[in-house]
Amino acid sequence: MASIARKNLFEDIPRFIVAQAGIVFAVSLVTIQVGILKGFTRSTALLIDQSSADLWVASKEMVHLELTSPIAAEKVVQAQKVPGVERAEALMIRSSVWRSDSGLITPVRIFGFDPDSRLFAGWAVSQGKLSAAKQPFSVLVDRSSLKNLGQTQLGEQGKIGTLPARIVGLSQDTQSIVSSIFIFTSLENANAYATAGLNTSVSCTRQTKGDLTCTNNFENAPLDGVAAPLTTPRSLSISDPISYVLVRAKAGQDLQQLKQRLEAALPNTRVYTQAEIADQTRVYWSDRTGVGFILSLGATVGFVVGMVIVGQILYSSVTDHVREFGTLKAMGASNWVIYSVILEQAMWMALLGYIPSMAFCLGLGAWTQTAKGIMILITPATAGGVFMLTVVMCVGSALFAVQKVTRVDPAIVFKA
Amino acid sequence: MTATQIDLLQSAGSASQANLSISAERTEVNAIVARGIEMIYQSGAERFRALKNIDLDVKRGDIQLLMGPSGSGKTTLLSILAGILTPTAGSVSLLGEEIFKLSGSKLAHFRLQNIGFIFQGFNLFPALTAIENVEVALNLKGIRKGAARQQALGLLDQVGLSQQAKRHPQDLSGGQKQRVAIARALAGNPRLIMADEPTAALDSHNGHAVIELLRNLAKEKGRTVLIVTHDPRIIDVADSVAYLEDGVLKAGAHR
Repeated sequence: MASIARKNLFEDIPRFIVAQAGIVFAVSLVTIQVGILKGFTRSTALLIDQSSADLWVASKEMVHLELTSPIAAEKVVQAQKVPGVERAEALMIRSSVWRSDSGLITPVRIFGFDPDSRLFAGWAVSQGKLSAAKQPFSVLVDRSSLKNLGQTQLGEQGKIGTLPARIVGLSQDTQSIVSSIFIFTSLENANAYATAGLNTSVSCTRQTKGDLTCTNNFENAPLDGVAAPLTTPRSLSISDPISYVLVRAKAGQDLQQLKQRLEAALPNTRVYTQAEIADQTRVYWSDRTGVGFILSLGATVGFVVGMVIVGQILYSSVTDHVREFGTLKAMGASNWVIYSVILEQAMWMALLGYIPSMAFCLGLGAWTQTAKGIMILITPATAGGVFMLTVVMCVGSALFAVQKVTRVDPAIVFKA
Repeated sequence: MTATQIDLLQSAGSASQANLSISAERTEVNAIVARGIEMIYQSGAERFRALKNIDLDVKRGDIQLLMGPSGSGKTTLLSILAGILTPTAGSVSLLGEEIFKLSGSKLAHFRLQNIGFIFQGFNLFPALTAIENVEVALNLKGIRKGAARQQALGLLDQVGLSQQAKRHPQDLSGGQKQRVAIARALAGNPRLIMADEPTAALDSHNGHAVIELLRNLAKEKGRTVLIVTHDPRIIDVADSVAYLEDGVLKAGAHR
C-alpha cells in the first residue's frame, strides 16, 4: 500500500521539522540525563577501573575510594611478604587546597602513588610524562581541571597548602564529577603536601615487655609562623599513614584465597577485589547520596516529558488526519490497517528523531568531557537502550492516539 | 358457498400466490432493501427521532436519489444504508446480505468488497497523488503494487484523468478531485456506489461531467447508485427519487 504514514509525515515539511524538533528534544533529554547518570556513576570509580591492581587493601572503616581511615605504610611491606603477592604498592589520598598565583583557591584531592609503576595509574597522560611526577613538588592534573585550578598550560605553578606545585603533566579521563579536583603526584610529594603547614612529632613509649609503641602527632603550624626552608620531600617511612595497599597477584592466584591470606596477615584491614571496591564506591554515590537519586529522577522526568511531547505530536497528527482515517474506515479498511498507519508513522518519527538527537548528544558529550570534564556516557548499550525507549515512547504515544481513531464517528466522512 | 364465491376465493388465492412470487422476485432484483429503519439520538433526557420507520427498495442497476431539505436525515439514512451507522431499529439488506447481522469485521469486509463511496468533500488523501489515492483502495482489496498501479491508471483513464495521475489533490480542480474520488470508488469493481452530494462543490460544467459518469456507471456498467443530493440536475438521470422530510420518507417518483 502506498505509505500513507510516510506521505502524511512529509506532506508539510515545516510542520514535520517542528514535530521532529520536539522528538529530538525529548530523546536528547532522556539521553543526556541517562548519560550523565551513567557518566557520574562511572566517574566515581574511574580511577579504580583504570588501575591494574587485583586487590585493594584498605582500613576496615573504608566507605568509598575517597573516604577511608589511614593505614600505616608498613602494611605495604607486610603485604609484599604474603605468598601469592607479586607486587604491593602504597596509595595515599589526601585533601588539601590549591592556590593559584591569581589567588584562586580550590579544594583538591591529592593522590600519591609510585609513578614508575602502572598499578594505580592506568590512565592516559595526554601531555607530559607520568615519571615527571617524581620530581619534587611536581604534579599531574586532569586536562579538564586545568581551568578550574586557575591555570592555562603545562609548566605553570600554584601552591598546595604552603608548598609549590608545578604542573608537569596532564592526565585524561580521570576526574570524578562529584569530587574535588584530582592532583596526581609521587608518594613523597603527596606526603609533603599532606603535612605542609603541620608540625609533626613522634612520641614513643616502651611497654613492659620492651616493645615500643609510637604515635605520629600532627599539629597545625601557626599561620604567622616563619615558613620552613623548602627541602626535598622525604621518602615515606613505615609509620607514615597511607590510604591503600594496591596488590598485584602472581599469575594463576585464586584472588579470594589471596584476599583471605592478606586479611589474616594485615590486621584491621579489609581486602577488596577491583570490582568490589568499584561497586562499593559507585553504590555509595548513587544510593547513599542525593546525587544518584536526583540524576535518576532527571532521567525518569526526561522519559515522561518525552512521552508527553511525542504523545502530543502524534495525537495532534492523528487529529489532523482523523477524516482520512474515517474515510479508510468507511471504505472498509480493518482497524489493523488504520493502526498500522499510525504505528508506522510513530516508527518513522522515532527513527528520524533518534538519529539527529544521538548525533547531538554524542557531540555534546565530547564537548563536556573535553571542556568541563563532565562525562555524558553514551555506550552502545545506552544508545541501543535509548533507541528502544524512543520506540516505546513513540509506539506508546501512538497507542494513545489510536484511541482517538477507534472513537471516530464513521459518519464524519459524510460531513462536508 | 356458491360457485361464484368459490371462483372468487380461488382467484383471490391465485392473486395471493402471484403477489408472493412478485415479492420474492423483487427481493432478488433489489440491491438495497431497508425495512423499518428508526434512528433515535439521545442527549441526556432529550430524544431526537432522526429517522421514522423508513422502508426503501432500490433495484439493481438503478440510480436512486434521496432528496430533501437540510436536516431531514438524508445523510443519516445513507450512513445506515452503507453499514457505517447502526440504526436504533430496522434491517438493511444489501445484495441479499442482512448487513447488521454481520460482525464488525465482516461488515467492514463487505463494505470493502461491495461498496464504493463518493463524498461531498471528496475525502482524498492530500499527501497522496491522484494515482496513489486510487491505489490505496485497490491495496485495501488485496491488489498489490504493479497490478494496482496498472488498474489505478486504467480507472483514472476512465474518468479522463490519466494525465493528472501524479498530481496531488491540492493541484487539481474541484471537478478533477471528484473524478479521482469516483475512480477510487470504482476500484475493485464494487456493485454498489453510494454518493453524498457528489456535485455540491462543483460548477455547472464539472457537475454535468460527474452526473454523466454516474449515469454511465448505472446504465452501462450495471452498478446500483444511491445518491444523496440537493442538485435538481441529477433528477434527469435518476430512475427513482425518494424525498425525506423530518425523518419520514415521502412517496417518491419512479420513472
